[in-house]
Amino acid sequence: MRWIWIDKFLEFESGKRAVALKNVTLAEEHLHDHFPGFPIMPECLMIEAMAQTAGILVGEARQFQEKVILAKIKNAVFYHYVQPGDTITLHAEIESISPEAASTIGQIKRGDTLIAQISLMFSHVDKNLAGKQFPQENFVFTDMFHSLLSGFMEQKAAGGKG
Amino acid sequence: MKFILIDKITAIEPAKTLTAIKSVSLAEEYLADHFPIFPVLPGVLLLEGLIESASWLVRQKNQFAQSMVLLENARNVRYKSFAAPGMQIQYTVNAKTIEDNTSSFTGVGVCGNEEIVAAQFTLRHFNLADENPKMAMTDGQIVENMKKRWKLLWTE
Amino acid sequence: MAMSRDEIYNQVKDVLVDALGLDDGDVREDATLMGDLGAESIDFLDIMFRLEKAFNIKVPREELFPAEAVMNNPEYVSGGKVTAKGLAELKSQMPHTDFSQFEKNPDVNKVVDLFTVGAIVNFVEGKLK
Repeated sequence: MRWIWIDKFLEFESGKRAVALKNVTLAEEHLHDHFPGFPIMPECLMIEAMAQTAGILVGEARQFQEKVILAKIKNAVFYHYVQPGDTITLHAEIESISPEAASTIGQIKRGDTLIAQISLMFSHVDKNLAGKQFPQENFVFTDMFHSLLSGFMEQKAAGGKG
Repeated sequence: MKFILIDKITAIEPAKTLTAIKSVSLAEEYLADHFPIFPVLPGVLLLEGLIESASWLVRQKNQFAQSMVLLENARNVRYKSFAAPGMQIQYTVNAKTIEDNTSSFTGVGVCGNEEIVAAQFTLRHFNLADENPKMAMTDGQIVENMKKRWKLLWTE
Repeated sequence: MAMSRDEIYNQVKDVLVDALGLDDGDVREDATLMGDLGAESIDFLDIMFRLEKAFNIKVPREELFPAEAVMNNPEYVSGGKVTAKGLAELKSQMPHTDFSQFEKNPDVNKVVDLFTVGAIVNFVEGKLK
């Protein structure tokens, strides 16, 4: 199981908002445990998909200088479940951002149907050490995330359709 | 890779409180990505541990009457520290209300004296047959499977 | 749009109830954010953002919670107590706070008790003038 919950970016406005997409497929093993007999995407993983979309948005806004970590789920409300074969889009927007933290709001949609509304707070851990030890390098924004974003930027530059 | 985020239920006060434990191990595949040089249990999976704990309180109280028990709303989920391989987390959930189709809880996860996560959340529970009577058999299947899982997690 | 202190208090109360998941009745003028209301460092930032939004003001972090710089400075803290110099520094940075209780026993661990609901209301009032 890879820990990446978005498949590609559809829109990206630096410092402001982003839209990413995730396909939900029976190939994802964990669906078969949630629940056996009726697989649906666990709500907590939908939160993670939003956290990754918003986290990259927040990280990029400050040139990935800090390690951006999910510190608080302010509110997450779910209206419908999501099944294999569905494609969900994650719409994230930066509400506030400072050197120490950022707050984002967002929606998950399936087509036009509103699946969830999620607001999050991220901590920029280099500025909020709180006595915990971390490795120096930015372990949060791995190659996986960078290639998601650069893949989108390249496509945009080439005038391709997202 | 199994999607079950608690290992054992350690105590139950029916319809009121449940405690469960989760051991964190490098064997858990996603830790390789989260994060490559600093493996820690993802925050949303800590929340999932609380959700699963609460779901069992619901299923037990309602005698597995509903097949689907899902997160409806999570609020003020605060991550206070990290859960690393080798650690064991203890989840405690307290039910504020448990009704047929909805329930609400507060929950915490601790490792020894250190608090890792705290949350408030509500669940919704229903049968697929409520919307589509043809799904009654699927509901039955889900319940049977969840009862088996219950036996794995809780020995009275 | 001049807001009365009561109006400010009610909005601050709403912010704290939302940010900390409290009941209305938990919030009192003299309640400390950390001790009584259970706020942690991420909550302070959350509260700061929400205050900015609610009152349309800018809150540089050092202004609302300047105590951190003082607590980490050896000139201002000695033997677990805030020195006279430290106290003067705190007072100049936090004019909206009542130090009379703290002065009786300036234990550095009690600095956090200075962050009360009332102090936040005073701070916002000051910003809105």
